Amino acid sequence: MNIEIITLAEVQDIKGEAGNFSVDVLKHPRYIDEDKCIACGVCAEKCPKKIIDTYNAGLSKRKSAYVEYPQAVPLKYVIDPETCIYLQKGKCGACKKKCPVDAVNFDQKPENKTINVGSVILAPGFETFSPEAFENYQYAKHPNVITSLEFERILSASGPTQGHVSRPSDHKDPKKIAWFQCVGSRDMNRCDNAYCSSVCCMYAIKEAVIAKEHVGDELDCAIFFMDMRTHGKEFERFYDSAKTKSGVRFIRSRVHTITPVTGSDDLELRFVTEDGDLKTEIFDMVVLSVGMQTPKALVDLSKKLDIDLTPGNFADTQTFSPVATSRPGIFVSGAFQGPKDIPQAVVDSSAASAAAAELLADVRNTCTKEKKIVPEVSVLGDRPKIGVIICQCGTNIAGVVDVPKVVEYASTLPYVELATDKLFACSQDAQDNMVELIKEKGLNRIVMAACTPKTHEPLFQDTLTAAGLNKYLFEMTNIRNQNSWVHKNNPEMATEKAKDLVRMAVSKVAMQEPLAEVELPVNQTAMVVGGGISGMAAAKSFAEQGYETHLVEKGSRLGGQAVNLYMTAKGEYIQEKLAEMIASVESDDRIHVHLDTQLSNVDGFVGNFESTFSSNGNETKLEHGVAVLATGATPYHPTEYGYGTDDRIITSLDLDKKLMDDDPSLKTLNGAAFIQCVGSREPERMYCSRICCTHSIENSIQLKEKNPDMNVYILYRDIRAYGEKELLYKKARQLGVIFIRYSIDNKPVVNTDSGKLTVNVLDHILNMPLELEVDMVSLATAIIPNKDEKLSNFFKVATNTDGFFIEKHAKLGPSEFSTDGVYLCGLAHYPKPIDESIAQAKAAVARAVTLLARKTIFSSGTVAQVDPVLCAACGVCMSICPYSAPKFTEEGRFAGKAEINPALCKGCGLCVASCRSGAIHLKGFDTDQILTQIFEMDEAV
Amino acid sequence: MSTKEPKIISFLCNWCSYGAADLAGVSRMEYPSNIRVIRIPCTGRMSVKFVLAALRQGADAVWVSG
Repeated sequence: MNIEIITLAEVQDIKGEAGNFSVDVLKHPRYIDEDKCIACGVCAEKCPKKIIDTYNAGLSKRKSAYVEYPQAVPLKYVIDPETCIYLQKGKCGACKKKCPVDAVNFDQKPENKTINVGSVILAPGFETFSPEAFENYQYAKHPNVITSLEFERILSASGPTQGHVSRPSDHKDPKKIAWFQCVGSRDMNRCDNAYCSSVCCMYAIKEAVIAKEHVGDELDCAIFFMDMRTHGKEFERFYDSAKTKSGVRFIRSRVHTITPVTGSDDLELRFVTEDGDLKTEIFDMVVLSVGMQTPKALVDLSKKLDIDLTPGNFADTQTFSPVATSRPGIFVSGAFQGPKDIPQAVVDSSAASAAAAELLADVRNTCTKEKKIVPEVSVLGDRPKIGVIICQCGTNIAGVVDVPKVVEYASTLPYVELATDKLFACSQDAQDNMVELIKEKGLNRIVMAACTPKTHEPLFQDTLTAAGLNKYLFEMTNIRNQNSWVHKNNPEMATEKAKDLVRMAVSKVAMQEPLAEVELPVNQTAMVVGGGISGMAAAKSFAEQGYETHLVEKGSRLGGQAVNLYMTAKGEYIQEKLAEMIASVESDDRIHVHLDTQLSNVDGFVGNFESTFSSNGNETKLEHGVAVLATGATPYHPTEYGYGTDDRIITSLDLDKKLMDDDPSLKTLNGAAFIQCVGSREPERMYCSRICCTHSIENSIQLKEKNPDMNVYILYRDIRAYGEKELLYKKARQLGVIFIRYSIDNKPVVNTDSGKLTVNVLDHILNMPLELEVDMVSLATAIIPNKDEKLSNFFKVATNTDGFFIEKHAKLGPSEFSTDGVYLCGLAHYPKPIDESIAQAKAAVARAVTLLARKTIFSSGTVAQVDPVLCAACGVCMSICPYSAPKFTEEGRFAGKAEINPALCKGCGLCVASCRSGAIHLKGFDTDQILTQIFEMDEAV
Repeated sequence: MSTKEPKIISFLCNWCSYGAADLAGVSRMEYPSNIRVIRIPCTGRMSVKFVLAALRQGADAVWVSG
């Protein structure tokens, strides 16, 4: 209601300044009236023009009238003016003739709009690199060399092969598939993309594993790579299981040329193995793992908008303001900020909305629209009087299902007062008519047999509300998407099915009661736990948006781990920025800092928490609406590589300290070795600590700059300098830092026996043992979360096997917990650099503010309820509920029995199914309502 | 081979499989009509009771998806 979607629009220019922009938008014609289109698809069906389906990566055909993909929002058809016969030649118009709602309008013209806004978020995305120019890979010539995006479509159930893996040339089931990594990434020779695209390693592994799932274990999948970069949360474990369980082969080699095998559609690859042997292998198909890049048009637009770009053509941002572009008031999220995966893009988008909201805090809710409230008529205890409305959906339903027959049948069903049909039940006049019918006939239950409740239930429920009827006295049954559309060649059976579905819905709705939505106030105060960079960034964002915030830190100072850090990957001095940040938090009247304070208890739930702070034996209580957990992590204390036995063996943080102190001894070193993955990517800690490669590379550059003659070695397993951090890796190599790869089975050995400090390692190129004489060894140690079981229990939030908090959804809910009103950010979620920590802190706040801004929340009506008389107080519901909604009643007649907090209940029904006493009812989906549908399954005819 | 058409009752999770069944429609895929779908809020709602009731009601197969 408060989001206006303007599709087919291009931003031409942004004038003005932060707080007052005017945005020039060119809206291209859709040639279909969005308000009229009901997405029935008749236009596409009748359109005679077949063209290549770009969404399916050119692997299938579509029509000129089309919807790009089934999940498109808004789900409205569009006519492609480049290929439409009418728009090109003035003849045809088949779609216009056949459209049942007269939505096709060839007279639409491009429109110029100007929008006045206070802040702007850029989320224009990326394009994949086109490998056509790489002649040696045969992409342009050979059908069996495809891009990863094309393979993604082949794997998809909604793709051109419906998920069946077959190769394009002859539709043969492949036996061997190869993936080539870094096509269009980390490459300055054949393209200009020096950066790492960050996502390709992980998607290639995923594609290989899924391909094996689809085809079977006999499929041989081989991934050719340089460094395997699985630095995301749970990614290392996935990589390991792909190797050990799924049997995907990982070959560290860059294949130079693909040669088609004469007389067949197969492909021959020649490559050099790690041992230096030249090998030849034949594959059925090759997938090129193409990278991400900023489209040329976007680069041009950025110049026009005065947005600075990085060397890799991404929007330039700073570490401490990771979603702000160079132009104040314009923010950025997603792959235009840098190549990234979905969770990171989701974090960014929430962060950008927080940044935009900070700017507009004073004018919050000044442009919002609100719904009108109609008083509700009580129908409690009345005999059901059901109205059944069958939608024809033009010919979509009526063209297959015999609608009059279904109407006639429906009118014979018990409690049915009225059965009627509508040409389009969702049209405004049909809605108005529905309101009249409800009032005139005194209907107190409605069944709508139409399209899908997933898209239309809220619309029809609004109509009930407008008629003064409780919106839960409604049941929708799906006779289009799940009937007429999928049984179009079997109209008789489809009609029978429609009758069955209507009868099932009628029997269910007859048992429906009006349901109440409980209104709860939301306390407008926020609490943030943890005073590190993430916690401070969160507190600051809350305060900027006008909310009182309490920042709780168990230590005696703010700053967390950042006080130990020297420089960011972008070259900013961390201590300077940190001091500014601490000062701004401490001087903000809306932020109350509680040092030396821990939580000793938390009561309540979303919107209404009460936490007890414990500080030096004193206890105080705070009521707050939301909580952000930013409890951070600590460095691993190594026992390996002789740490602690010799002052010359130090950790990365020790080296940062020396750099901060400008320790003169650093200049005099003749040699220094960095050892990576100390404590990370080990069986007991199967995760990558994400930041250590960049950290060591940065420090190696510092040493080289202090003393160019110093021998600097980095001993690594895979260099994971993702995104534009790759440029630092390149710089280090140019400065003469020597990178030596070791394997986990053959780790380097640090020796101090002779008084000299030496590191023995097997050189991966020469395959010869090396002895490096150095004056310093810097260990890149793992990041270990601060595990606090008490805190987890207080908020009922879980941690994974590594001790990091488990977010609500790995991809779509990275900054919030399953427990409502509780959010997370920073190292407690997963190791990450400062820019990503700050982005996640802002993201957590953005999610929390969606709650705070509402001031009151309504529970859903379809929630579980305990009948305390039947409850045996066994506690199963409490242990099984993922949202901590049930608890034991504390006082009164039913003390000790379970009760369910409707504000926390998501209505999943897990407790209902698990309750052995049958004491729990799920309103709207109660046991008898489901049973009655089963009983009424097929009695039509 | 029997020519009898089996009667299938399915319990589909509102958030995934029910949506997938909708998309099958949007994509105009075709499948036999002898299936009746009951939408449930989550497969967590699924109970053995429903499976037994469906079988007793004469269903030849029960499909729970979510």
